[in-house]
Amino acid sequence: MENAVHTHQLTKKFGSFIATDAITFDVAQGEIFGFLGANGAGKTTAMRMLCGLLKPSSGEATVAGFDVYRQSEKIKQNIGYMSQRFSLYEDLTVRENIRFYGGIYGLRRADIPVKTDQILRKLGIETVADSLVASLPLGWKQKLAFSVALIHEPKIVFLDEPTGGVDPITRRQFWDLIYEAAHGGTTVFVTTHYMDEAEYCNRVSIMVDGKMKALDTPAGLKTAYNVDSMDAVFQILARGTSTK
Amino acid sequence: MNRIWYMVEKEIRQLRRNPVLLRIMILAPIMQLILLSYAANYEVKNLNIAVVDGDHTTYSQRLVGKFRHLDNFKLTGYLPSDKQARQTLLAGDADLVLVIPPHFERDLEKAGSTAVQLLVNAIDGSKAGIANGYATAIIRDFSTDILAETRAVSPGVVPQLAIENQYWYNPKLEYKTFMVPGVLFELLLLVGGLVSALNIVREKEIGTMEQLNVTPIRKHEFILGKSIPFVIVGLGLFTVGLLLGRFLFQIRIEGSVALMYVFALLFLILCVGLGLLISTLAENQQQALFVSFFLLVLFILLSGLFASTENMPVWAQWLNWLNPLKYIIEVGRNVMLKGSTFADVSRQFFVLGGMAVGLLLLASWRYRKTV
Repeated sequence: MENAVHTHQLTKKFGSFIATDAITFDVAQGEIFGFLGANGAGKTTAMRMLCGLLKPSSGEATVAGFDVYRQSEKIKQNIGYMSQRFSLYEDLTVRENIRFYGGIYGLRRADIPVKTDQILRKLGIETVADSLVASLPLGWKQKLAFSVALIHEPKIVFLDEPTGGVDPITRRQFWDLIYEAAHGGTTVFVTTHYMDEAEYCNRVSIMVDGKMKALDTPAGLKTAYNVDSMDAVFQILARGTSTK
Repeated sequence: MNRIWYMVEKEIRQLRRNPVLLRIMILAPIMQLILLSYAANYEVKNLNIAVVDGDHTTYSQRLVGKFRHLDNFKLTGYLPSDKQARQTLLAGDADLVLVIPPHFERDLEKAGSTAVQLLVNAIDGSKAGIANGYATAIIRDFSTDILAETRAVSPGVVPQLAIENQYWYNPKLEYKTFMVPGVLFELLLLVGGLVSALNIVREKEIGTMEQLNVTPIRKHEFILGKSIPFVIVGLGLFTVGLLLGRFLFQIRIEGSVALMYVFALLFLILCVGLGLLISTLAENQQQALFVSFFLLVLFILLSGLFASTENMPVWAQWLNWLNPLKYIIEVGRNVMLKGSTFADVSRQFFVLGGMAVGLLLLASWRYRKTV
């Protein structure tokens, strides 16, 4: 089976600053791939290159089999994206947001109401379907944004710190949604700096100063560094210190 | 095509959700149309005139009397001396002072000629020029009267050439008639250019622009989806403006209304193109606002809306070659007041069309789906 994401020596420079330094990795289809790193480690830059939002300086990358240099518009048809910044229109209702993004992603007119009901039911937010998104609690907004990112049933979904600022229960519910999507065959590429979330991933990579320092399953990493939590692995790699 | 419709639908929904902006977009331009057309007025009325009468005779009284009967002038009073006259001007109590010398009547009767002095406060040069023109005309009128009377007594008449002016297209020299067509198009620049630029930059600020950039939306779909709502609002506004012009200002539209709409549409496309271009250059709403405001003021002041472009220095006239507002105001005035046909304004049509295409091409070249 073809890899969902493939990169080789992918690099992005801003002037003399190297944001992403020659990273090489593959993500298998249906995998939940965790992308970890401290703030400014280059996670968002790498993700933006893969989404076709940023042209790489050098190196290779394909997403869903399409080249990031030449076929970025093809990539965009096959991915979903949820940025750190909130990406729904606050001055539109839940239903209108779903309708708008459904339309932009080229869903058939008749399919949009069906899809809308599906999302509303799944998230249990039928009662606020016609409320403005601005009036929803943050956790609901994020779950809705995730569902909207999946509206066109993309092969891969990129999530940039999707659970920032929400309570642990909502985070847990959010991860249930991620699992469900992965079960359906969608590849999930997620950045986070919550180490408990790292445990939920199939494989985890850890970025430090633009370089990819480690890449393995959570269990594999813990064994390799001889610690009992992902937090400890992260401390050793990112801070160069051990909590032990 | 489908995506364009979804964009338009979304924009219109958002506009309706923002009643304050909608109200400002409709009411502010209408207020501007009314206020500018009534207030920005170069007719000079209510000039305060003071008189230093050194003669105190029938003739001097008659001359002063002529000023009294015109509503352009308001006689503030008599002053005893030149010195007081200067003080009055200095204090701003009079715009001009008429100084009638002693022996005014005697000189006029005996020598057939004399001189009066006009002191004009010329801080506002154009107003002073007009005031001076009015006053000179009145004095000339007076001297013609006197000449006629003296000639009646002693013949040997010199034939007089009377010049009678006929003002075409704006027979009453109404300033409003001159302003309305210009302001009407200036408003479209406001809505089409400024508001559209701010709208797109706002999407950049809140992050939905990035979200749109990872969707398969095509450049032209985005640009058209953003343009169409503003063109619709602009045309609505134009209609309100035309109706106000017709019924409030009583300006008959001499030319074809359809031609006016063709130009309004063309100009709106141009304005939205400009707004789009600004939005691709600006990172945030402050930058967009500043750039738009700078261009707007420049366009308006150079456009001939207030001051005739022919009297501007050569470099300003060159700059005006790039000023879309200049062309469209020419069109507005010619079509509305003179009844010009398409053939008369075809040059402006092609210049504006070229600018619109150029701006849209530049904007779509600058608009990147990458950050």
